[in-house]
Amino acid sequence: MSPSTLSPTPTLSPIAFPDVALPESARRLRAEVRAFADEERARGTVLGRPDSWLAGWDPGFSRRCAERGWVGMALPTEYGGAGRGFLDRYVVIEELLAAGAPVSAHWVSDRQAGPSILQHGTEEQRRFFLPRIAAGQCFFSIGMSEKNSGSDLASVATRAERTADGWRLTGTKMWTGGAHVNDYAIVLARTDDAEDKHAGLSQFIVDLRAPGVRIEPIRLMSGEHRFNAVHLEGVDVPDGMLLGERGSGWKQVTGELAFERSGPERYLSTFPLLVSLLRELEQRSATAEQLVQVGILTARLHSVRQLSLGVAAALDAGHSPDTQAALVKDLGTRLEGALVDTVRSILPTPADSHATPGSHPELLAFALLHSPGYTLRGGTNEILRGIITRGLEQH
Amino acid sequence: MNTHTAALMNTHTIDTNAPVISADAYDTTAFYTDAGAVPTVTNTTAPDAVALPSPGASTAQLLAAAQEAGRRSVPAPLAETALVARPLLRRAGLPVPDGPLSYTIAPELTIRYAHPAPSPVGSAGCLGDDNTLLVTGTLRRVPWARAATAVVVLATAPFGPVLFTLTPDQASLTPGANLAEEPRDDLHLATLEIPASHVRRISPELLDEARLRAALARSALIAGAAERCVDLTVAHTTARTQFGRPLSRFQAVKQEEARLIEETALVRTAVQAAAPLDPGGPAAHVVIAAAKTQASASAAEIARIAHQLHGAIGITQLNPLHLATTRLWSWRDEDGDETYWARRLARPLTATTLWPTLTTTP
Ligand SMILES: Cc1cc2nc3c(=O)[nH]c(=O)nc-3n(C[C@H](O)[C@H](O)[C@H](O)COP(=O)(O)OP(=O)(O)OC[C@H]3O[C@@H](n4cnc5c(N)ncnc54)[C@H](O)[C@@H]3O)c2cc1C
Repeated sequence: MSPSTLSPTPTLSPIAFPDVALPESARRLRAEVRAFADEERARGTVLGRPDSWLAGWDPGFSRRCAERGWVGMALPTEYGGAGRGFLDRYVVIEELLAAGAPVSAHWVSDRQAGPSILQHGTEEQRRFFLPRIAAGQCFFSIGMSEKNSGSDLASVATRAERTADGWRLTGTKMWTGGAHVNDYAIVLARTDDAEDKHAGLSQFIVDLRAPGVRIEPIRLMSGEHRFNAVHLEGVDVPDGMLLGERGSGWKQVTGELAFERSGPERYLSTFPLLVSLLRELEQRSATAEQLVQVGILTARLHSVRQLSLGVAAALDAGHSPDTQAALVKDLGTRLEGALVDTVRSILPTPADSHATPGSHPELLAFALLHSPGYTLRGGTNEILRGIITRGLEQH
Repeated sequence: MNTHTAALMNTHTIDTNAPVISADAYDTTAFYTDAGAVPTVTNTTAPDAVALPSPGASTAQLLAAAQEAGRRSVPAPLAETALVARPLLRRAGLPVPDGPLSYTIAPELTIRYAHPAPSPVGSAGCLGDDNTLLVTGTLRRVPWARAATAVVVLATAPFGPVLFTLTPDQASLTPGANLAEEPRDDLHLATLEIPASHVRRISPELLDEARLRAALARSALIAGAAERCVDLTVAHTTARTQFGRPLSRFQAVKQEEARLIEETALVRTAVQAAAPLDPGGPAAHVVIAAAKTQASASAAEIARIAHQLHGAIGITQLNPLHLATTRLWSWRDEDGDETYWARRLARPLTATTLWPTLTTTP
């Protein structure tokens, strides 16, 4: 046989993820974060709760993370960041999520606002916002969605009209997580009418306490207040708060998505519930069948984590793995939903929101009531799958 | 290689127009008889050949070759030889014969010393003058037994775990096959004498390593077959039109196709996670158990979607899809199914060790 007679194999980039080897620094970092999480657990701030990146709001905790250099970690040191790579950041956030730590206050500023301002912002914006973000003193919301612009985000109707020294924003953003407690929102608005609805969009940094901003709570079915409708009733935004170029909003937003979609929060939201299940099983010694189901979940978690790490490695190397990120999010968030159902069937337990906080029935209720959101936030799974097949066909 | 194999190869015809090469392009005899000179897959991103890797190949290279063999439905025990039999022989300190090799783990064999010590301690046959053994019993469903130069057998003797080799002609062979018509033969041993030179006592760790190696090899084959399902499905849905447009233009088709791609990426990455590890080392246990659990558990979904999107043509022999899907259905059960490996993965886990275990690699 001569190898040269064989035709080359087509490579399939969307399913080929880079191999990952975490640096030694990441190993040390992991140990530090674990020790920190243990200390915080002892003081009663790390509660092992599911979905802690959406629901665990504790600015004090965020600031203590920031003191250790774990907020805005991948930002350059000249802007107050730690100048560390995405893989180091990955280790920190996966440790905090696995512990169920309350990270939601700084979540969006760390994940999206920081990198976005670094990439698209003016020097003035960088000097103003980035050190504050890295210090855990400046928290952001995402103002993309609207009532009629969900999956079809490019149809946003919020308008920014030119004024003498800036812009006046009018419209209503929906599902704006944390707008009632955060400082700023990055708002996607229409600045120009264009044939192509993807053109003419721009991003603005909006002070959530500016005159004309009216925040109206939207309650989750659990009764929690996490979301808002943010009414922008003629909000004046100075010129200096246009983020990036006028008309480049769509490109900027889609560029953020690889950061938004592939992280460990896309498969670890419900991890603390699995830990709780194991704690319960230890008290009654698991049956063979229960072990099998735990093993199958664990294998899937392990496998999804490898994929997610692959995207982090690609980001670290300066690539923009959008297709891979969409793939990880679809797999990961479906796993989160399946985990809740499987945990329930492994150890049949009536979910009970009123049970002792932190008890298994209460955690189950919490994860269950949050579960429909996993496959919606950050772009629905149906939309993601369109991205994946397009990516494969274009390859 | 004997005539059985040659005959068997001819039953495997793969559509030569498919993007993947035809199995007929392989002269497996050539790459097995001259093991020292075989080309190696060195570049995992552009493998242009699937040949038996050289003895010094890394785990990553062996995995890449096994995956490629799975992808191309290679009708020969490449993964079995390279990832399981050869390293086990080497670890046990036995010579590694040229040619295709096979392995089996057979705890139910009856094993005695051929030359018992004159004054045995304990029950008769517990001590021998030398390690020559008398073996009775059946080795079930041995992969490619009829084609193998030698079969590596791992068993438990009264004196502990043991590894020995035999050639298929020393046994009476009942041919068998899996769903993909890959040989899975039973070998009947009737008080077969295995000379001491072919026998090594081994540690329980090596016995366990054999299970892990077999599971890893099988997982890599599954990953390759899964990729073949993706190749074929994407090619099909972009080429076939219904209602005036390609299947791939329909939302519902995209949704299913994306799930197929995802499930395949998942398996592939789970297998790749083992590449930097020594398959006998402590960290390898978790990773390989997870890889085989995932590979076996994903096989059904991958095969289901690939067939669904191919429509009726996919269930015929006119189309090469069956080469991949029948392998997936077979391989998910072989070397431990997902139930077996999931239980092994979960047994040591506790609420406090779960996360540290998941993060031992990378
Ligand atoms: C927990 C949570 C937090 C969120 N936080 C924020 C936030 O902080 N800031 C923010 O801006 N937004 C936020 N969102 C909004 C989120 O981005 C949107 O919910 C999401 O993009 C979907 O939009 P929609 O809800 O309008 O659903 P729709 O777009 O109306 O979709 C409804 C259903 O139809 C399907 N569908 C729609 N179009 C297609 C198509 N072309 N093909 C196939 N299927 C289709 C969808 O997949 C979905 O299943 C959040 C959402 C949740 C659940």
